[in-house]
Amino acid sequence: MKAVILGAGEGLRCRPLTLTRSKVMLPVANKPILEHIIDALFKCGIDDIIMVVGYKKERMMDHFRDGVNFGVNITYVEQKGQIGTAHAIKQVSSYVDDEFIVLNGDNIVEADTISDILAGRSGDATILTVVREHTEGYGVVLSEKHRVMKIIEKTKEDLSHSVNTGIYIFNPDIFNYIESTSISETGEYAITDTIQHMIDDGKNVNMVNSEAMWLDAVHSWDLLKANAYMLDRFEPPANVCMIEDGAVVRGRVSIGPDTVIHPGSYILGPVVIGKNCEIGPNAVILPSTTIGSNSTIEPSTMIKNSIIMHDVRVGAFSYISNSILGAHNSIGSHFITETGEDLFIEMKGILHKAAKLGTVIGDGNNIKHKVLTEPGKMISTGCSIASGVNVSRYIPRDSKVF
Amino acid sequence: MCGIVGYIGDGDTVNILLESLRKLEYRGYDSAGMAIIDDKGKARIFKNEGEISELEAIVPEISSHVGIGHTRWATHGRPTTQNAHPHCSGNICVVHNGIIENYQELKSELISEGFVFISDTDTEVLAHLINKYYSDDLGLAVGTALGRVRGSYAIGVLSNEHPDELIAARKDSPLIIGLGKDENFIASDIPAILKYTNRIIYIDNLELISVKQDSVQVFDMEGNPVEKEEHIIEWDLKAAEKAGYPHFMLKEIHEQTRSIHETMTGRLHELEGDVNLGELGLDRNEIRQFQRIEIIACGTSYNAGLLGKYLFEGLAGIHTDVDTGSEFRYSSPVLAPSTLVIAITQSGETADTLAAIREAASYGCRTLAITNVVGSTISRDASHTIYTRAGPEIGVAATKSFTSQLVMLYLLAIHFARARSMMDADRARMLLTELRKIPGHVSRILEDAGTIHECASMFVKAKDYFFIGRNINYPVALEGALKLKEISYIHAEGYAAGELKHGPLALISKDVPVVAIAPQGHTYDKILSNIKEVTARDASVIAIVDCDDYCEIEKFADFVIPIPKTDEVLTPLLSTVVIQLLAYYTALELKCSIDKPRNLAKSVTVE
Repeated sequence: MKAVILGAGEGLRCRPLTLTRSKVMLPVANKPILEHIIDALFKCGIDDIIMVVGYKKERMMDHFRDGVNFGVNITYVEQKGQIGTAHAIKQVSSYVDDEFIVLNGDNIVEADTISDILAGRSGDATILTVVREHTEGYGVVLSEKHRVMKIIEKTKEDLSHSVNTGIYIFNPDIFNYIESTSISETGEYAITDTIQHMIDDGKNVNMVNSEAMWLDAVHSWDLLKANAYMLDRFEPPANVCMIEDGAVVRGRVSIGPDTVIHPGSYILGPVVIGKNCEIGPNAVILPSTTIGSNSTIEPSTMIKNSIIMHDVRVGAFSYISNSILGAHNSIGSHFITETGEDLFIEMKGILHKAAKLGTVIGDGNNIKHKVLTEPGKMISTGCSIASGVNVSRYIPRDSKVF
Repeated sequence: MCGIVGYIGDGDTVNILLESLRKLEYRGYDSAGMAIIDDKGKARIFKNEGEISELEAIVPEISSHVGIGHTRWATHGRPTTQNAHPHCSGNICVVHNGIIENYQELKSELISEGFVFISDTDTEVLAHLINKYYSDDLGLAVGTALGRVRGSYAIGVLSNEHPDELIAARKDSPLIIGLGKDENFIASDIPAILKYTNRIIYIDNLELISVKQDSVQVFDMEGNPVEKEEHIIEWDLKAAEKAGYPHFMLKEIHEQTRSIHETMTGRLHELEGDVNLGELGLDRNEIRQFQRIEIIACGTSYNAGLLGKYLFEGLAGIHTDVDTGSEFRYSSPVLAPSTLVIAITQSGETADTLAAIREAASYGCRTLAITNVVGSTISRDASHTIYTRAGPEIGVAATKSFTSQLVMLYLLAIHFARARSMMDADRARMLLTELRKIPGHVSRILEDAGTIHECASMFVKAKDYFFIGRNINYPVALEGALKLKEISYIHAEGYAAGELKHGPLALISKDVPVVAIAPQGHTYDKILSNIKEVTARDASVIAIVDCDDYCEIEKFADFVIPIPKTDEVLTPLLSTVVIQLLAYYTALELKCSIDKPRNLAKSVTVE
């Protein structure tokens, strides 16, 4: 069976991190979300993958190439203009001639999730659902036994607890229904409309409920939760790095090749550190932290419950907690992130709730010494921030703050 | 410069040969051919003008257990079907990469003996010569024939009297043997056969190999057996495929964020402020004793070498000269044993560079090779080798291999500067910290590639282009002009900006875009006045500048392309990416064959 992964979207609610990469490329446990999906597919014996790409596709192609390093064969299909999931699936019509599985590239799944829908599939189309207590903001499914009667996009009422995961099994018949799907009120061609159209046409659409993992990171700060969750269940491979005498590495810690941990450093798992990093001396890295490749953590810096992406330099005597730092950031000494709880973060005029957050910083910023970020105040990408600045509001793209 | 392949075994010979040849197209692609022995013991020859697909179109499905193939880039005789390999004489078929220097005299001799020539190639001489010496031992005949030949060769020979054997031999052209299970391969290069096996034997000069289905025997030219070591290749083959990009060149430009890291990985020692180059095999005292460096390279690698000159002189205080391989070996080099000769070649097989370092070694010099290909000829010829680790590069126009060469030169210069006490640890640490940030800066430039595309479209009608830069930016100007010439076929010149007024200014007019590589630095004011010089002649100026400052230059330039701020010394790494993209998008707009420019081949293994 071939798999079709939808990965063309921008992920606007994960700004500023998605200014330079699509949401599917955001790292969780030091791997892009998409890579977790590909790993799960591979474990289920699905190794022929068609990736629908669009926004920032080069990042995906550079990482996955033809898929050989991931044991799969990847074909890239470009979706020009992001006008809905049905439109995205339509792009692959010439690449599939049999049953195929469709997944969203931005939800983390495990092999069991996929084997559940594979085992339970029946009828003309199958939808994978998960049960959630709160379904606000999710699409839900109304069913009689396993037969789907109605499929509802983002609901505000509690109509059903069966959340539509966006994982489907279709046969090529779907393309005919996509052709006759009309544009929705929000200006998109949604696959849910196509499926409703099938149901109304008397087709047999079934659902399979899964209790396996299905994680949805809506906002950038949800990544921290997903990261901690994934780190809690990962099994570290044997370390091949250099841990110098006097450094302590405890718990489940994975450290990539060519990384050096200098003396006096204390690392408490679960922690994942990529390759070719320099940590310490005297750095303290506490649980649920990931550090991407080629990053440098200078002496006497402490990091906890945070995602540091690749090619980041954090200066000496810094304190980072509950925060996400994008790639290629260069940060001076005495950088402090303040953490707040139950924050309301404004994005495009709408307030979004964050349970616990330090800051989120995009890519390629040049932050000098002694900078402090107030709770939930983010920095976009390409900014320069002078020494001594208190970041007390959102710093937009390419700003210079003195 | 051609590619040869050979196969013996129970597989689908025709398709294996075609597939292997496709992987060698970077070595040439103007005609191709193959010879196979079919199940009835009859030799069948197929050749065609053009790319491998043209050959594929004319080869029928035939069952066969042995065959040889060739993709050609013409050196002697035009690229025609007639001149395509294999060349045959009687029952003997030959494919050949290299040049037979004494082919004219051998040809006359053979004609007088009654052999009839049907092509204009030097290779046909080999076929007749082998036929002439053949009685019943094919290997012996090949050995005797090669004894009469001057020049370079990697050859594959088969005869329908010996359907169970392939003969191969090598002198100064690359050749490897691939070991399979009940099948064996010969090829000019590893990617050709990597799909089938990763067990490789590197063949050295003046070795002759008898390849059978179940055995491979290597002999020297006197017929004595030679013990060879088997190597396991750990590249992944798919790394050499396009992965969603329209062209290898664009893919490889994008890969620079990764390849630059690969070059640096494990080599930076920031805390200590030094570069860890253990593999170099030169200690501090040895480095201190060099009085001069001579860099030898060709093409793009020459431009890297020129930057090397500025670095070794500017950072490490060692007098440095740069020469192209083809000039160096015919000049009268003044070399003392205290001269370090550095050869830069991506493939490690560049014939001119190889010849030059052999020459240098004969003067008692230490030779240091900077190459991308592990186990390549130069790594065996040079006394010291360091690898750039850029990964396989398929696009004929060098991109990531160039930036990795530059990074390697930075590392080497910093290392030399530290060993010679010309640079303090703090300055070194600063440079290494900035080097680590380069991949991030490169990805920023790639993010903004749209601007460069726009710029390329704006000037796409230009017939001539000038690239100017001073000091460390001069090699970038040369590289910019070279890239544009190679893939977009636009005439382009790279000049040291100060040289404009000594001649080329006469060519500057309204329709000539001038690319000024002008990041901030100690020559910034000078290049600013050079820009004014050309705008005064109505030329359009495309200025490559640092992010922080373009208000001043914007007044004069028609198009400004900013690069992120880094240490002045390191800006060539970033401006290079800009000129690569400029050349790429220009060629794209002009609909040129970007990965396979006309008349060019990737690895130049002929002089």
